[in-house]
Amino acid sequence: MNLESYRMYLIAVQGGLTDEKSRDLQRFVRYHEGFILMVTRTGPVVALDEAKSTLVSNHPLVEFMGPVELNPRGFLARELESIFAANLGKQVELVEGESALRS
Amino acid sequence: MGLGATVGADLLSVPFPKMVFDLAQAIAKGQTALDRSSLATLRVLAKTEFDYVPEIVEVIQAGDTTTAGGVTVTGVDVVPQPTRSIPLTLLQAGLTPSFYQFTESVIEVKMAISSKVSTQSEFEFGVEATASAGFLFASGSVSSHVDFRTSNTYSYSAEGSSLLRTTLKPVPPPARMMPRFITINTLVQPPQVTTSE
Repeated sequence: MNLESYRMYLIAVQGGLTDEKSRDLQRFVRYHEGFILMVTRTGPVVALDEAKSTLVSNHPLVEFMGPVELNPRGFLARELESIFAANLGKQVELVEGESALRS
Repeated sequence: MGLGATVGADLLSVPFPKMVFDLAQAIAKGQTALDRSSLATLRVLAKTEFDYVPEIVEVIQAGDTTTAGGVTVTGVDVVPQPTRSIPLTLLQAGLTPSFYQFTESVIEVKMAISSKVSTQSEFEFGVEATASAGFLFASGSVSSHVDFRTSNTYSYSAEGSSLLRTTLKPVPPPARMMPRFITINTLVQPPQVTTSE
């Protein structure tokens, strides 16, 4: 899987985050081959193909979506990186598993 | 006016200064919009708080348990000791907004001008002479004709296309836009000061 064109985005959910909204949005991101890196009180931090970012940012549940980066000098940079890597690892494995089942 | 002058005039009529101005204005507008978006992301990151629990202490200790049959057996209890959570923002934690910058812009103008002049001339010359002679008279006639036809065909075409290309690259956030975090750890003696930007 080519992740070169993927970038990290922080999504702020319209009208505050609820479990239902979070699930809907995560499903939508996954449908567009994105990955959920972490879920915050504002909304999820996702990895998404740049070309599909407009599709997600136009979703009615999305109030705001902006590209973000990891600041290596941040207080919890290493922890965030390992959380992102762990969550990404699970989902990439799942995608590869799904494609293997299809073929 | 000669054809060379027409071609020159056509080349001069390319609105190059306007194109450069329009491109520069579009880049400036785009850059402002991108910076605004990055600042909006910065605000969201600074407002998104979470409780960071740096560590959880679990104490394993012996604890007797009673089975269903009423027999007391030696067991183990794991007692978690909650520690104080630290409220942090995503910005403090280590997420920063991406900033983009237009690094290169190219205007490419292509023009194809072709002109063709063809001249066709036809020249025809004919002489006809007749002579007759009789008993009392003789006669003769000479006739000639000259035909000259000429036609000029001019064709001229000019085609143009322009291409505007810009490159957008992520750049480190401007120093003045990002706050500097100064952490003073009073748990150690002397207190340790860490500065991160």
